[in-house]
Amino acid sequence: MASSTDRPPAVELRDITKRFGDVVANDGVDFTLEQGEVHALLGENGSGKTTLMSVLYGLYDKDAGTISIDGDVREFDSPRDAMDASVGMIHQHFQLVEPMTVLQNVVLGHEPTENGLVDEAAAREDVAAISDRYDFDVAQHLDTPIRDLDLGVRQRVEIVKSLYRGAEILVLDEPTAVLTPQEVEGLFDVMEELTAAGRSLVFITHKLGEAIEAADRITVLRDGEAVGTVSADDTSEQELARMMVGREVLFDREPRETTPGDPVFEAEKLRVRGDRGLERVRNVGFTVREGEILGIAGVQGNGQTELVEALTGLRSVESGTVRFHDEDVTTASRRRRIEAGIAYVPEDRHTQGLVLDYDLVRNALLGNQTIEPFAERSFIDWSAVRDHAESIVEEYDVQPPNPNAEAASLSGGNQQKFIVGREIEHDPDVMVASHPTRGVDIGSIEFIHDRLLDLRDAGLAIVFVSSKLAEIQKLSDRIAVMYEGEFVDTVDPDDVTEEELGLLMAGHDREADVDSTAVTADDGGGGDETPADETEPPASEDAPDGGAQS
Amino acid sequence: MSVADYAARNRFRLGSAVALVAIAVLAVALLDVPLGDIVTIGFVERSLRAATPIALAAIGGLYAEKSGVFNIGLEGFMIFGAANAAAAVWLIGGDSATQGDLWLAILAAVAISLVYAAIFAVLLIRYEADQIVAGLAVWFLGLGFGPFTAVIIWGNRNSPGLVGIDALTVPGLAGIPVLGPILFNTSPLVMLTAVLAVAAWVVLYRTKYGYWIQAAGENPEALDTAGVNVTRVRYAAVIFSGAMAGLGGAVLLAHAGSFTGTGDTMVNGRGWIGIVAYLFGNYNPVGAAAAALLFGGLDMLQIQFQTAGIDLPNRLVNLFPYAAVIVVLTVWGSTRMPSAVGETYESEE
Amino acid sequence: MSDSDSGRARGVLDRAAAGMLEASVLQRLAIATASTVAALAVGLLVVAAAGYDPAVFLRNVFEGAFGDSNAIARTLKFTSIFVLTGVSVAIAFRAGVFNIGVQGQFVVGGFATVISILWFAPMLPEGAVGGVALMVLGTLAAIVAGGAYAAFPGALKAYAGANEIITTIMLNFIAVGVVGFLVEGPFRGEGQRAPNTDRIPEYVELPQLVYDVPDFSILGLVVALVVVAVVAVVMARTGFGYDMVTSGHQEAAATYSGVDAKRTIVKTMTFSGMVAGVAGAVFAIMMQGYYSDPGGVATYGFDAIAVSLLAANNPLGVVPAGLLFGGLDSAGTHMRINSDVPVQLIDGIVGLVVLFVAAPELFRMAAERTGLGGEKR
Repeated sequence: MASSTDRPPAVELRDITKRFGDVVANDGVDFTLEQGEVHALLGENGSGKTTLMSVLYGLYDKDAGTISIDGDVREFDSPRDAMDASVGMIHQHFQLVEPMTVLQNVVLGHEPTENGLVDEAAAREDVAAISDRYDFDVAQHLDTPIRDLDLGVRQRVEIVKSLYRGAEILVLDEPTAVLTPQEVEGLFDVMEELTAAGRSLVFITHKLGEAIEAADRITVLRDGEAVGTVSADDTSEQELARMMVGREVLFDREPRETTPGDPVFEAEKLRVRGDRGLERVRNVGFTVREGEILGIAGVQGNGQTELVEALTGLRSVESGTVRFHDEDVTTASRRRRIEAGIAYVPEDRHTQGLVLDYDLVRNALLGNQTIEPFAERSFIDWSAVRDHAESIVEEYDVQPPNPNAEAASLSGGNQQKFIVGREIEHDPDVMVASHPTRGVDIGSIEFIHDRLLDLRDAGLAIVFVSSKLAEIQKLSDRIAVMYEGEFVDTVDPDDVTEEELGLLMAGHDREADVDSTAVTADDGGGGDETPADETEPPASEDAPDGGAQS
Repeated sequence: MSVADYAARNRFRLGSAVALVAIAVLAVALLDVPLGDIVTIGFVERSLRAATPIALAAIGGLYAEKSGVFNIGLEGFMIFGAANAAAAVWLIGGDSATQGDLWLAILAAVAISLVYAAIFAVLLIRYEADQIVAGLAVWFLGLGFGPFTAVIIWGNRNSPGLVGIDALTVPGLAGIPVLGPILFNTSPLVMLTAVLAVAAWVVLYRTKYGYWIQAAGENPEALDTAGVNVTRVRYAAVIFSGAMAGLGGAVLLAHAGSFTGTGDTMVNGRGWIGIVAYLFGNYNPVGAAAAALLFGGLDMLQIQFQTAGIDLPNRLVNLFPYAAVIVVLTVWGSTRMPSAVGETYESEE
Repeated sequence: MSDSDSGRARGVLDRAAAGMLEASVLQRLAIATASTVAALAVGLLVVAAAGYDPAVFLRNVFEGAFGDSNAIARTLKFTSIFVLTGVSVAIAFRAGVFNIGVQGQFVVGGFATVISILWFAPMLPEGAVGGVALMVLGTLAAIVAGGAYAAFPGALKAYAGANEIITTIMLNFIAVGVVGFLVEGPFRGEGQRAPNTDRIPEYVELPQLVYDVPDFSILGLVVALVVVAVVAVVMARTGFGYDMVTSGHQEAAATYSGVDAKRTIVKTMTFSGMVAGVAGAVFAIMMQGYYSDPGGVATYGFDAIAVSLLAANNPLGVVPAGLLFGGLDSAGTHMRINSDVPVQLIDGIVGLVVLFVAAPELFRMAAERTGLGGEKR
């Protein structure tokens, strides 16, 4: 895979600067992609990785710097220009048209035509040839609409699309974010096939382990600047983490002093269907007691969302029961559950947790519409709501400390602190927190972690859903691992290694094949470290959330 | 998409349509309705005539929506089409206009609709106007300026008798029993609409432009990164939809032979029904045309009831298409819309 | 932070908030004014193009709207109805529900008023007491009828996904058709030549105050303003109002906060239809005194959409917007007699107003380009 020295680099970016208004997203970045290599571009969200590659792909106009492809300086005004120079990009959000077939998607914009009609036979032949050449397993799906395919296949369709358009240089933007561990392995195989055939790849990621595993060289970006380039063979995750954040971040598990009390929140044999009518939660049961955090770990999309919605009253259950204290709340409405004292920090703060064009005062009422002192009979006491908003802003360190600010104007971390504050101030008995630190800066993450631990010490029962192993292990008293809608195991965080957790999350047995399976779920976590001194990139994000800063 | 594919995908839809027909047949049998007097060759022919304006507007509307822009102004564009065609035929031929004049007038009406639709498209796409509100505005404009035009020209909101389109008799084919009089001895605009519906289908599903339109409405970014200008595709689709609705209005006039500007004008909700027709037809041009035929048939029931001696007040029978629209929307309301409908798209920054 | 400190801080913040609110109100006001002016300008161009004198037309508009006390009374009469129908639309639009069916709810409500008054009249004493009782009963009937007629498409949207824009438009056609049929036949007054119901008794009418015209009482306007106040309070100060408005802004957030989205749609539509019903009642009692074929009744419910949009769907803003449209309609009535410019032009101008309101970006860009109102968004 080493670069051949007689050819100029596939891509050479010199001194690239890109500003959005006052924000400098890329600040004089240099980047070189050699022929036939996999080059990882590593950095936290908002560090400018995607921006840099979007400049290369012609999506953004750069403010300064030069782009050379195969030694020639090029100017790209649009993706079409980039494509003409054989640069292709696989976006984090797939650029696929769901109701259209694989074949139609691949040829979109480059349709072979005959007599004004699309020449399907010719298209079919070309696409099948590409699929077969790299062993992509796409040929048999040519007439399947995209929406009927798994994410892994969709990603390969995206790659085929780029190759069909003649891409020699492929940029993969966070390609593993949506994949299961098995699919990630499959992707790495595909990447190898591609470089073996002489293609050059840029692999954008924020996951240290993946960068080391899949790349030949790694360039780290921080705050829009290139921190350095290292060879994957000569580096360690600690070194990369240090380069990414500028200091070492440790999540230590503090020994706890209190012991859990009575059961507060229970689920029994819960079955829940997802949006498409498929069963997404299968026979899940648990008990959370006073002063206890139950962590629910799992790769995104294994039924956590549906489970949480069923617990909080946003989704009806197929069968089973949910109990709060001794009350059966299985069919209780969302409002009833709020009033009873089940607080909820939702997974998606932009669509659920906040009304973006409301100010913080009006957002402070969200969920409190029927709760005293804000509601008196049917009327709202806005001065009480304003006081409430002010106290949340103050106590939860929301910046800027202005309750009249529009929610949309806050950064992701501050939005999240506001939501966490509002939900805690409900004075709940139960807190369901779903990915509360996703897309949030490191300071806010620590703040939110501390608050959750305070709540636990104050005797609340907490259900904490996350796909980041590090924080799950740090906070939880027990960890339930969810895989394909089931709790595959419930473990004690103190006697499970991260590797074992990773196996569980990938649907393996805990003990059975630790040695035979080298790959762990490694989702946002620090990889193969020992759990005691584990590092985690801050603000890592497991799903294509977008987030305020991206 | 082949016919078999379409059938497989729309099993529920087709099944319900069959069930509806079965219920109607059963009702006819039980209530002893003189079916033979209702479903006559004349009725089918009249239904087709009534369906054409709706079908044309529906095909236009579905192109716009497929491309990601909800053109809710179809009704307004139809009113303009009818009023402008009436004005044009009067200006060209006065009170002794010929068939040729009428065809010219239809062309002129479509040309004017193109201009209006282009302005509308600029407002929607460039100036990001609220699609629903702007669409309603087109309706209001039609309701105001359509009759206004009539008053300016004729001093009355209704025109005097102008010229209606003559039936086109295809020698030989017209003699075929049943099909002959329905298809080959009727308004040539019926045939034209059928041809346009099939052509619209071919373009949408078999040409690259059709691919682009679908992609623009479902995932504009995908189209953009494929190097196709999304905005241009949407402009084309919206302008086409306005022109088709204008043609629909002009055809309505050509079939009626005079302009009516009182009340909700002669268009009287047909543009809105067109929207429902394409929803019912699941955004398929041929399906939309078929759905339009259903509404056209309901529109013509009144005459059949009269000739069959069924005594139902006209005013109530006239409401059948509107009631049918509500039923259709209620049963098939959750049709999946293209996912990017109503979202503006800017390709950079 | 001490109490006095936080009090002072609060004062500062309140002022800042008020400033922000003012800015956006100002901006909306600017857009509304610009839309109206632009629509009138285009209207004048059309007048000139059609061969009339725009200056004369403009004078006719002002004379017709505010020229003398008769014109003013007529303007206020139309204003009363527009304010009510406008608020009805505003309620729904604010909550993100497109109730285009206010016209139908208005017709059904007005018809219910007349029928119920005619029905109850023989059972109640004649005179002022009976009159008031009948007006109350008639209005209640209108509220129920209008509310129910709007709840129906609301339920269809909530529970069957039927697009309310289209169902409500269809229900407009159906309301006009069915009520038209009823006044033609079953409910036609005895000996009526035209398709009208009987007149409601003479004593069932609002007292003539200030303006001595038969079809307007200042009390009608008062009713409209009271309804505006009630609606404004409900929207801004109650949990129900918050639920509705939040649903309109961001449905997922509303659901998260415990709002039953489907029920809220039905409630919103019902509330909106009830207000449309009141409009129908005021129209029937104050303006008409009987019910006629609604095919010929002016399109208060349609124009209300323009009224509400011009007011940025704010219940309070509906009052000036309603006045503008009342003036336009009044001018139309005046022009019908005193000018040969077709009154349909007024309808066209209404359409233009809506079109311009729909595209605020047009004015923002124009303002930026010309350097007026410089602040860029």
